[in-house]
Amino acid sequence: MSFGRPPSISGGFSNSAPDRGSFPLDHYGECKQYMQSYLDCLRKNTNNSTPCRHLNKDYLECRMARGLMDRDDWRNLGLNEVRGAAESSSSVVKDNPKDKPNV
Amino acid sequence: MFCAATGFAGTPKVGMGKFEAERLVPVEDAKRIKVHFNADTADALPWSFTPQQRFVSVLPGETSLAFYKAKNKSDKDIIGIATYNVTPDRIAPYFAKVECFCFEEQKLLAGEEVDMPLLFFIDRDVLDDPACRNLDDVVLSYTFFRARRNAQGHLEPDADDDVVQASQGFSGYDIAPRAEDRKKSEEKPSS
Repeated sequence: MSFGRPPSISGGFSNSAPDRGSFPLDHYGECKQYMQSYLDCLRKNTNNSTPCRHLNKDYLECRMARGLMDRDDWRNLGLNEVRGAAESSSSVVKDNPKDKPNV
Repeated sequence: MFCAATGFAGTPKVGMGKFEAERLVPVEDAKRIKVHFNADTADALPWSFTPQQRFVSVLPGETSLAFYKAKNKSDKDIIGIATYNVTPDRIAPYFAKVECFCFEEQKLLAGEEVDMPLLFFIDRDVLDDPACRNLDDVVLSYTFFRARRNAQGHLEPDADDDVVQASQGFSGYDIAPRAEDRKKSEEKPSS
């Protein structure tokens, strides 16, 4: 049994592994700009996560599109209620400015 | 004590998709919780490792991203392996990682710098736990170790067991020596 796997002889009381596993490394910084947008948003919002969640979605969408993350349903990532940038620009009629988070 | 040590509040579900989508919905009117980020490296690991945000203020049930940055400052490729710890103990059963950079080996090439994300949430059941009523601040600490292969050929932190346990918040607990270490001392010829 190895480190980080379900409780085993060598693990003892190991902390639980992440549900969906490990993010592969973004060796070429392909999604770095999305990360930076998110971090900038946090700074502008006293590190309050809620107004910046659409940028979480953009970052994760970047990873999925580049094979840096298994494609998953937004519901399983808790982001189905949040509208990312890619979706905002494509929906014209339904887009209500009141729905956009304050940034 | 057992629950605090393992972080299991009840019967743990194992494997992918153990978080139902219904758990991943923010509780809009709840009090926010500040999650602070710490980073450490073992002495034997010539990496710099830092959080990219000092804290994030989240709602229970709200999934959130956080980032660390790691750089291999040496002239050799190195495989690292990270452990983590959440304090205070009473929040541990509710703190859940959906996906992160931990638990599996991370190889950084000589001189390489890389961003490391984690996606986490604090389960909404924390609101029903009287012990967590006045809990405003949580600290998440990651420690990176150099990785080595154990006798079974699996990667593990290259450090003494007590150091690894301490990085997971288990310093001060009596921990039995690992079976592999017990066997070794039993097999030593007595003279």
